[in-house]
Amino acid sequence: MKALLDSFKPGLKDKEISPLQFFGKHGISVALVLCVVIFSLATENFLSADNFLTVVMQASIIGTIAIGVTFVVIGGNLDLSVGSLLSFATVLVVDLHDKVGPGMAIPLMFVFTLLIGSINGFLIGYLRLNSLIVTLGMLSAIQGITLVYTGGKNVDISDQENTWFAFFGREEIFGIPVPALIFIVLGIILQIVLLKTGFGRKIFAVGGNETAALFSGLRRKRLVFSTYLLSAFTTACAALILGSRVMGSQNNVGEGYELLVLAGVILGGTSLLGGSGSIVRTVIGVLILAMIQNGLLLLGYPYYTQWLVTWVVIIVAVWLDIAAKRGKLLSSY
Amino acid sequence: MKVQMKSVRIIRSLGKVSLLAASISLGLSGMANAETFRIGITQNNVGVDSYQTTYEQAFEEAAAKAGNVEAVVLDAGGDVARQISQVRDLIQQQVDVIIIWPTDGQAVVPAIRGAVKAGVPVVVTNSNVAEAGQSLIASFSGPNNIQQGAYAAEMMCDQLDGKGEIVQITGQPGYTTAIERQKGFEDRLPEVCPDVTILDSQPGDWNREKAQRTMEGFLTRYDNIDGVYAADDNMGVGALNAAKAADRAPEIVFIGATNFAVGYEAMARGEYHGSVYQSPAEDARNALNIAIAVAQGKEVEKVSYFDTPKITQENMAEFEKPVF
Amino acid sequence: MKSIFDIITKQPIWIFVLICIIFFSFSSPFFFDLSNFTNILIQASTIGVIAIGMTFVMINGNIDLSVGATVALAASLAVGLQPQLGITGAVFVGLLSGVLIGGLNGIIAWKTGVDAFIVTLGAMIGVRGLVFIYTGEQSFYAHDLAYSDFGASSLFSVPVLALIFIFLIILSHLVLKYTIHGRNVFAVGGNRIAAKEAGIRVGPHMLVNFILIGFLAALSGVLLSTQMGASTPNLGRNYELWTITAVVLGGTRLTGGYGSIIGTFGGVLAIAILRNGMNLLQVPSFFVLIILGSILIIVLFIDKRFSEQQGHGVRA
Repeated sequence: MKALLDSFKPGLKDKEISPLQFFGKHGISVALVLCVVIFSLATENFLSADNFLTVVMQASIIGTIAIGVTFVVIGGNLDLSVGSLLSFATVLVVDLHDKVGPGMAIPLMFVFTLLIGSINGFLIGYLRLNSLIVTLGMLSAIQGITLVYTGGKNVDISDQENTWFAFFGREEIFGIPVPALIFIVLGIILQIVLLKTGFGRKIFAVGGNETAALFSGLRRKRLVFSTYLLSAFTTACAALILGSRVMGSQNNVGEGYELLVLAGVILGGTSLLGGSGSIVRTVIGVLILAMIQNGLLLLGYPYYTQWLVTWVVIIVAVWLDIAAKRGKLLSSY
Repeated sequence: MKVQMKSVRIIRSLGKVSLLAASISLGLSGMANAETFRIGITQNNVGVDSYQTTYEQAFEEAAAKAGNVEAVVLDAGGDVARQISQVRDLIQQQVDVIIIWPTDGQAVVPAIRGAVKAGVPVVVTNSNVAEAGQSLIASFSGPNNIQQGAYAAEMMCDQLDGKGEIVQITGQPGYTTAIERQKGFEDRLPEVCPDVTILDSQPGDWNREKAQRTMEGFLTRYDNIDGVYAADDNMGVGALNAAKAADRAPEIVFIGATNFAVGYEAMARGEYHGSVYQSPAEDARNALNIAIAVAQGKEVEKVSYFDTPKITQENMAEFEKPVF
Repeated sequence: MKSIFDIITKQPIWIFVLICIIFFSFSSPFFFDLSNFTNILIQASTIGVIAIGMTFVMINGNIDLSVGATVALAASLAVGLQPQLGITGAVFVGLLSGVLIGGLNGIIAWKTGVDAFIVTLGAMIGVRGLVFIYTGEQSFYAHDLAYSDFGASSLFSVPVLALIFIFLIILSHLVLKYTIHGRNVFAVGGNRIAAKEAGIRVGPHMLVNFILIGFLAALSGVLLSTQMGASTPNLGRNYELWTITAVVLGGTRLTGGYGSIIGTFGGVLAIAILRNGMNLLQVPSFFVLIILGSILIIVLFIDKRFSEQQGHGVRA
């Protein structure tokens, strides 16, 4: 059993490495360094501790969600509902804050967010419906639920100065913004879970080779179900940060996040086919995107320029990654 | 073969029955509602902020109170293509008047042309349609956004004592209200305060989080910002949040429009400096009243602005806190 | 007669369409009416035209997420260039942009081997950036009224837009079912490697389908802009989601190798009828979202049950 599981682990082969393969393995870190170098040379404001913290902070919401979604993707599925779920969770925690106090609002928000995550997990894990379509449908449905809950109105926290809820989005510990801390700490914990626990190894197995996994007795349904719980959990954490930052929420505040999250995960090298990936690489992917956004803004380009750059970066990055794996640059079709 | 013939017959008779049912109900409704007017409204984006939600509520209440109105209330969700479909659907539902809150001032003009051709008059509410549509509409009722932009320029000038560098966060691109407020502001500012310069102008899309991020970008790029003009308080408070997070709020003047409850509260705390008081309930009631008048065949003013005064820290006691 | 019965039983979406029609006819006096049906066709045509291309691409085993952004690009070019190139010239450039984007996606997917999902995800983000850069975030307006008159015009009292849509449905159905290219679509989608072994040039084949969907997305954008006499930079947002939804509702599998234009047509109609019917019934927009999302999941579930019971094969 262990031997079978071991065979699914992303293996490290110690043969000689071509430049292509070097890129494949370490490309993402190279890209990160390149990014930093280019932008530092281009503008003086980039290379400062302040700015770096800003970047990590801006990346923290997308990054936190991306950590959970990485588990889903390694398991061989997708989650497009995270944007709507973020809207829902943020709206819920902000609205409940004034009604039952932050102490009750936060746990309640987690409960309901995980509940929705479990619906995803049930439909995809137990009923084996296609994850793209299910989470697409949930994207709409959750958006509708959010609007019904608020009746379309904005929600606000009235006394924004005197609430400890501000901790999650606005405070610092030893000079590091709390959102960045949440992002990094969650990343470290879940990376350990992914690589060092049986649970993590089983997720790789389920994503990598379903039939073999089935035959070796892995409980696929339960594993897939739990990946969606994880993605909902990290989305709830991101909602804490977001709600605390804006102290008020419009119904569509999370719109479009699912794409940015996916872009970060893909950039980090996690394969959409499932069976491979890592949290660290997702974090790097998210950071690269945030740096591009930040750097271009500092250079004075309008915000939509970053989309063009993201397009090129994603394709080149994944191309190099794939090319490294098959050993040649162009495909044979 | 036999089974299929039977099902064909069943389907045919089902069709006949539903046609019959439809015509009977249509006839009955026609008879009963001789005195009532059917008024259809397609709104811009009810879920985007609480001004628009409060408007919808007020509209439905006013219609219910009016007694002679049957209202068909639709929401385009900010999607131009959907608003065009909704105009067509309202014509299909044989409404007497269409009220439109345009998602895009120009793009809805052909749809309005279609409505007028089909014999349904169109009243525009809150955010006007472009020049090309003015000859087609029966009336426009709403705030005077150019005036509001001018007010903002005047308030900014007062607060800055005539000198400074400011940034602007505009509304949704393509949306007439955003365009008009920007124009009013930018035209009036050099008249009252030639020494105040606009460093940069970016859209906030009426979204608080987006405005917050845009302001963060401004704060990183410009070492000195003396003031911010946000096209509404919802975005203005977003900018305020960003400034507070960067510890630069005390040195910045915040001027907005459409005073939201959060803006009112920030003003009470001394963090926010000026806005324009605009009542969504009044907005909705005006639109409904004009639509009823048009349905009754009465003469109406082509343009009816309702009063939207300045509100500052000095005079805010005269105003009630907005409910939205 | 028999084949119509066949279609209804083997593609559950048409039963659903029938149920919707019956339900709304009874619930609203305005539904069962010729002008309402033509309205539905026009409303369906925006997503429908794109869905035709998406069907080809998905049977191939690929996907295209960039269609929404292409809609916006084509519309903006077709309207924005009118002062310089006149209506015909501007429309031509608009359609060309779709062909080029599709071609670019296809070549990248072919030559690099990067999965279509990722290639078109990148394009979705990047092309939207192109739109914003070209338009400077502004809407463009067609000052020549002939443009929007076309969008409102009719032939034999059927709106031209609806006619174009129906024509494309028929044409694409015939291509998919009776031409070599059509048969290859299924072969490549069913088993890419086997298709290559059998002599089909997989790369160029997939490229053709990407160009097709790029063109159709551009066409949809142009047609939509004639209805508005304008183009907005945020046009087409989420169109890819609804297109994929319609195609999957129509029975096309995401894994490739199986699907049909008739099914897609049914899926497109189902969504349009639901939206139109709920509008007529004045269902609050918030609930419309929940209903549409849930129906997608339910139909998916039913379809899974159906196909597990019957077994299926390659069919147009």
